[in-house]
Amino acid sequence: MKTSVDNFFKDQWLPYAFMAPVFLYLVLFDFIPLLNELYLSFTSTSLLSPRQHTWVGLDNYRELFRSSDFIHAIWITTIYTLACVALALGIGLGAAILMDSPFVGRGVARALVTLPWAAPPVAVALIFTWIYNAQYGVFNFAQKMLGFDAFENWLDTPQRALMAILIATIWQIFPFASVVILSALQGVPKELREAAAIDGAGRFAIFRAVVWPTILPTVMILGLFITIWSLRRFDLIWLLTQGGPIGATNTLVIELYRKAFVYRDLGAGAAVGMIGLAVALVITVIHARVSSRLEAENK
Amino acid sequence: MSALPNALRITTVLALLVLAGFPFYWMFVTSLTPSSQLFASTPQFWPVWSEAGVYREAFQKIPVATWLLNSLIVAAGTTILALSIALFPAYALSRFKFAGKGVMGLSLFATQMLPEAMLVVPLYALFGQFNLLNTLTALILANTAFTVPVVVWILKGAIDGVPEEIEEAARIDGCSPAGIVWRIILPLIAPTLAAASVIAFFHGWNEYVFAQTLVSSESLRTASVGLAGFVGELSTPIHTVMSIAVIYTVPAIIFYLFVQKYVVGGMTAGGVKG
Repeated sequence: MKTSVDNFFKDQWLPYAFMAPVFLYLVLFDFIPLLNELYLSFTSTSLLSPRQHTWVGLDNYRELFRSSDFIHAIWITTIYTLACVALALGIGLGAAILMDSPFVGRGVARALVTLPWAAPPVAVALIFTWIYNAQYGVFNFAQKMLGFDAFENWLDTPQRALMAILIATIWQIFPFASVVILSALQGVPKELREAAAIDGAGRFAIFRAVVWPTILPTVMILGLFITIWSLRRFDLIWLLTQGGPIGATNTLVIELYRKAFVYRDLGAGAAVGMIGLAVALVITVIHARVSSRLEAENK
Repeated sequence: MSALPNALRITTVLALLVLAGFPFYWMFVTSLTPSSQLFASTPQFWPVWSEAGVYREAFQKIPVATWLLNSLIVAAGTTILALSIALFPAYALSRFKFAGKGVMGLSLFATQMLPEAMLVVPLYALFGQFNLLNTLTALILANTAFTVPVVVWILKGAIDGVPEEIEEAARIDGCSPAGIVWRIILPLIAPTLAAASVIAFFHGWNEYVFAQTLVSSESLRTASVGLAGFVGELSTPIHTVMSIAVIYTVPAIIFYLFVQKYVVGGMTAGGVKG
């Protein structure tokens, strides 16, 4: 026989008991390491003797903001992230609209177009390294066929390397944007589209009045995910250029890794990481505000 | 939507498919290109099937089998651990109202902001204390920390779709909440569970940073690290390298095709509702 006290106890604690596995796991493997890293960022610590910390307060941060390399890395990260968001969303939206309209073989096309998202980043880096090869790469070959002079490897050319990285990145991530937007497009009520068409609205007008407001929340959240993923992307960039040449593709995460594992300065690496994380947090908060305002306007 | 001429639409679709598929095709063609043709001024655009022996050679000359086995162990371990941790929290987030729920959801999302590269140093120290450095277990534990939030989201999305009335009968019969999750929810969300497994599996399969830094023995090298070693290295013939890349990529692609719709569903459910 259960008493109401038993039930009260159960109801109160059950959710927490259920949440406990994930909560404890994240605390142990994500949040405590994160606090550790925060502490490291206020110390001078070498990779060679990682247990010896000297408290230096804000010195690591001060040093970073004085270094032109770091300012440059912020700049590169900004360009890279904005380009990823704009291009992945733009191409993804275009592809989704294309795949939404009926045509023969649509199912197969939908499946095929998503494949790049599934490719392991290391394999992507490997194949693009070969595609970009200066002498034997098919990328330069195609440029020559189109009548351009193409003798350099874009990955080794400071003015081109970021573009080369972006091409590989967008190739890998646009399918995800496209699949997610496509599923949102399918949620647009048919009756609304038809009603607008009967009222004599053109295709673009229908898109603006009916389709866009429906898919906007999805596009917004997608934009946030792509931003965050671009801020933390490591494998692809590191394997293609290691942040070079002369810092042309040196994003914050690459800079973090270089500071910690190339220059063996764990304190400075941690400080770069904290700044990157702060940027991600600020963007998330702004995003939450903007999207709630947009949703309010749409209602 | 017929204003766009059909021919133009088909052409655009084909162009898109060629762009999406080309790097895969190129990886495959390169693996089946004779060494004499690899460094020709005009690339070879079609596979030469008689070159297929390169795949056998790759296994003979390079410890590909060991790499793949290690990746398999890491990926399978990550899957089992992530799923067993995620099930009950996913149910709690879907069904219960409780103080701190928002914070829990937010901390799950926050993990998506952490770059693996940033946690390498503290995790190295943590695993060092437990004597887990240079073990595949360390990789499983580290990968799970990044996979589990995604798995929780996806499972929560599926549980949201299960009508609560189904649980009513079992509750009246005196079934405990854990029993309900185990006996009623679990079978109903089986397809999503399978999809979440595949996602967790390939997170482990693809992972590179931890495998590169937390493990040093050659015998424990995963395929991602083994393959990454070929980037910029010139002594291994490029067709051999590409054959290994093909072997490493194909399983990821095939399985992904099966679970694609669940990934989208989970992401929209988790993302939009918070």
